[in-house]
Amino acid sequence: MGKQLFRYSEENKERFLDSENITFNDGSVVTPEEIWHYLTVEAPVKYPSAFEINLYQGNRGSRDETLPTSLKTRYLGLTFSARMERAKDNGKSIAFIQGGQAVDPYTAADTIALRPGLVNQWNNGLEYGNDINKENLRRKKSKEKAFHDMSFEACQTGGYEHVQAGNLRIDVIAPYTVLRCSDVSYGVEAHRHGPNKDVKLLNVDFPLRNQADKPWAIEYFAKNLRRLVQTLDEVTGRTTTEGDLLQAIKLHNEGRRLGTELAELWWSADIPPTNSDDRASLVSLGNLETHGDVQASLSVLKEAKKFIAERVKNGVKGHAVIDNPKRLFILGSCVGINGSRSEDAGAIVVGRDDQWSHCSSLVEEEGDPYYNLAKTTLEYPYEQGIEKRAQWTIEQIKKSRADGVIFIHNWGCNTQAAISRPIVDIIKRETGIPTYIHERDLHGLRDEQEQNRVNAFIEML
Amino acid sequence: MSIKTLEIVRKRLEERPEELREARKKGQKVVGWTGYNVPEEIIHALGFIPVRIAVGGDDRLVEVGARYASSKTCVFIREIVGAFAENEDPYIQQTDFLAFDATCLQNYRAAEVIEYFFKKDVVVLAVPRNFAEDDAKTYFVHEANEFTRLLEERAGIALDPARLAESVALYNDIRKTLKSIYTFQAAKDNVISWEEVYDLIQAGELLDKHEYLSLLHQTLAELKERHHNPVIESDDGDSRIFISGSLIPRGDRKLISIINSVGGRIVGDDLWSGILPHLDLDIKEISPAGVALGYLNRTPHAALPYLNLESDRRLKKLHELLSQSKAQGVIYHTLRYCDPFTFKAKETKNVLAKSGIPLLEIHTEYAGSDYEAMKTRVEAFVEMIRIKSESVQEEAA
Ligand code: SF4
Ligand code: SF4
Repeated sequence: MGKQLFRYSEENKERFLDSENITFNDGSVVTPEEIWHYLTVEAPVKYPSAFEINLYQGNRGSRDETLPTSLKTRYLGLTFSARMERAKDNGKSIAFIQGGQAVDPYTAADTIALRPGLVNQWNNGLEYGNDINKENLRRKKSKEKAFHDMSFEACQTGGYEHVQAGNLRIDVIAPYTVLRCSDVSYGVEAHRHGPNKDVKLLNVDFPLRNQADKPWAIEYFAKNLRRLVQTLDEVTGRTTTEGDLLQAIKLHNEGRRLGTELAELWWSADIPPTNSDDRASLVSLGNLETHGDVQASLSVLKEAKKFIAERVKNGVKGHAVIDNPKRLFILGSCVGINGSRSEDAGAIVVGRDDQWSHCSSLVEEEGDPYYNLAKTTLEYPYEQGIEKRAQWTIEQIKKSRADGVIFIHNWGCNTQAAISRPIVDIIKRETGIPTYIHERDLHGLRDEQEQNRVNAFIEML
Repeated sequence: MSIKTLEIVRKRLEERPEELREARKKGQKVVGWTGYNVPEEIIHALGFIPVRIAVGGDDRLVEVGARYASSKTCVFIREIVGAFAENEDPYIQQTDFLAFDATCLQNYRAAEVIEYFFKKDVVVLAVPRNFAEDDAKTYFVHEANEFTRLLEERAGIALDPARLAESVALYNDIRKTLKSIYTFQAAKDNVISWEEVYDLIQAGELLDKHEYLSLLHQTLAELKERHHNPVIESDDGDSRIFISGSLIPRGDRKLISIINSVGGRIVGDDLWSGILPHLDLDIKEISPAGVALGYLNRTPHAALPYLNLESDRRLKKLHELLSQSKAQGVIYHTLRYCDPFTFKAKETKNVLAKSGIPLLEIHTEYAGSDYEAMKTRVEAFVEMIRIKSESVQEEAA
């Protein structure tokens, strides 16, 4: 018997067709008709795993059929791999970056910036016709290889295996070495021994420990940003000016502003206007990098804000959200909990620190753009020491009216794991909200055990 | 016949905690430091007593540390945090404040966790990842000045350049003498073993520096008396092992004792708990900046990423030390969750293979449960080296 696949209902087609086009970086547009066709005809054949009704399907966001922008983020996700291939065919430059950093300088230098999750997404989409089990098996196999080449204690391998094998045409590995991360800079270094000698390597050195108040640290990071842009220019052959960077900052500020407004609208609602996954996929559009196309993200984000405002005004509840769910705020690194299964257990995710920290950090537009960008980056709340970070987190928890906090960290993510206890300690002390720390097991499997623990916490709430 | 001065060193180490207690009663302050790039001379020149925070080998403390810093932090840092939690280590007990650096992010996190849970005053020195770049050096000079300012605040005095010059001269002399002593351990008819020299190096992390220097001079004099001109070459049937990888602090002797128990002879190391930090430290200017740059320009620690394999100074140094010590194989020690070294294990193995040097990675924790498994692997490796070296000797004969 074939797997049971989810299908979009024709009932909602009309409303969807009334929504707006998506406009891409290169000026091309895709219409709602084309998107609907892709989601209902092409994608289920290409990516049955994404439509499979399966407990381990982490994302149910796409199923809110009356929220057109949610279907659009799904469209952007499913076409991601093909779009990256096309971008490469058209000579576009692609960089590997770190999660939790903004991408303004990459945008300025006309380079697509992909964090580890997106690099994996690109690779995952290269093979068609897999169900969830086959897909998981395939991912595991390539991870095994990468763990073997790097270290099995790596939290993730950032597509090392694919970049080195030449399967993913990434031109430059140039992440910020932010404090959050113990692994990415070693991951960059690992490329030096791989067979692919064409890929350029650069660590954009993010200095540690209360650096935002030190002029010399800002100067240093600003110089690193300049070196980053030079490196990106060496790949593209163009010359990025300060004016280009300022334009990029303005563009990204617009995204950050809209993302923040959307999140605050969502929080203002008595009834959650979307489920956990939809909320995350729409708010994260604010960073404009999620889909490898800044303009496409911006156009969906603008539309999403209108839809969410309408829902909040009319008290519309998100898809599969139960009445009075327990509100969870998720902390930690580069991972989240399974939104739909947690909803089944009676909860909803109302926020995360990761991604949100830099989305809510606007860059000053007057003055030296490198200096301004460096200063804001060094001020990212997520990257601060324990007390400062905890205080910012508490503010977010209060704004989102969370009932419980889960700090989850990835396998091998030493630097987040190390401070999980003090952070939740402060939160508990100052808010009285129950907290729970979860360590994800090897290879990041979303297993039964993890969900059982999360469910037990939800039940306790 | 053993070296007599080593007996004195052992005795002085036993007496040292009490001595520190007495010194503190008289108003002196003890600074517990850890981090590859902490410029110890500056601490010393400000009149503090520096002691290095480096303990290992106690699985129970690792468990205690995990309660505060998670079980995913490297074993070494977990033990350090556990030791602060228990506060029974005689040196940790005597520290007035701490000086940590951010060479390794986990070391930095340890500073944060210790500060938060155990209310310790910690001064942190930031370290640039792109250490080889000029702008990184400029940044580090600023950081070193800031570090000095924070220490001066705690000392209640300004750093006197003359005192700094004295401290630099003292430390330079220590490093020079250690290097001379180190040559003897790798020599034919070794009159001092690598293990003895290793303990001697670590004694210097705790003893008074002036006294330590005179003990080193005494040791060297004894060695010279017995062996005028140490020649480094292998004895028949030697299995000459070099140790690399994660640090092996005092308290952790598991791997070393296994190598010894299966007949391997350790003849060198590039551990940051061993000889490495004492090599190539060239302080060109007597100032906080000069000292800090001297540190940063040494062979870099594996926690600082370097993106060009061909010009990697860490690997170059490894090759140089291997050739100096005439080692025949490398045991590469990686501690659980020590990313700086585990990420490089396979690469280092491949690089050394090109020079015909075998490498065995031993990935371990402080628990005793893997002792037998480690022993089996080390034994096979040592045996393999012995057979290889015997066949080379036969061919040469
Ligand atoms: S999970 Fe942690 S170690 Fe892994 S990429 Fe994210 S921050 Fe880095
Ligand atoms: S270098 Fe390794 S052992 Fe040392 S603190 Fe860092 S992770 Fe721990």
